[in-house]
Amino acid sequence: MNESRRTIEVKVERTIAASPGEVFDAWLDPKTPGNPWNMAEKLLLNPHVDGFFYWLIKGNSHYGRFTEVERPGRIQHTWMSRSTLGEETTVTVTFKKQGEDTVMTLVHSGIPDTDAGRGHEKGWNYFLDIFPEQFGKGSPKEK
Amino acid sequence: MDHLTNVLTAISHPTRRAIIGQLAIGPARFLDVAKPHDTALNAVTKHLKMLERAGLIERQKQGREVLISFRGEPLREVAGWVHEYERFWNERLDQFEKHFKQKRKKEKKR
Repeated sequence: MNESRRTIEVKVERTIAASPGEVFDAWLDPKTPGNPWNMAEKLLLNPHVDGFFYWLIKGNSHYGRFTEVERPGRIQHTWMSRSTLGEETTVTVTFKKQGEDTVMTLVHSGIPDTDAGRGHEKGWNYFLDIFPEQFGKGSPKEK
Repeated sequence: MDHLTNVLTAISHPTRRAIIGQLAIGPARFLDVAKPHDTALNAVTKHLKMLERAGLIERQKQGREVLISFRGEPLREVAGWVHEYERFWNERLDQFEKHFKQKRKKEKKR
């Protein structure tokens, strides 16, 4: 039987107060807060086409291979984790100049749409965690 | 608007999220809620109305005072609707954006 799995795509956009080149470099620098490699328990990162990454956070391993690295406009890599159920998903990040700023668009596609991914408990914890964070009373929640 | 839309609209504004953060610590009077925000009192009233419409806060009369408290239940609805990767990337990019905002602020002060 030909079984097809339903997938979803997540798109997130932000305007970043820096030039595309600075934002591009910061996105690949593990020291910059907010990028995927920041605050890792263990990280192997080789951000070149066909370079791999291994990112361990809270005991959850993530793997991927860079497929496009075009400074300052675009980064694409695959992304596999427990949450993708072993499926190879794709993360594409683009950086476009807008005046002094950069419009950054991240698209994560091919994510298996499962009940676990939409877990009520996880979501609830997320909301409880972000509120203290806004007031400097807690550490940022990581996955 | 359906209820989920009301909740999503209510949490879409940073001031309203900050108010929820305050009230998540404990109930407060109107002026205490308004105090940390650099905005007019009638704007705070409008924010509270939107939070109330979403069911995220409730007002209780205690003697001569009215206490405003947080109700978390509507957030469960949103949490079940949003995929974990949506939350993950939004949270990451929020931190990333904040980092650069602070950096630019420091640079302009110099």
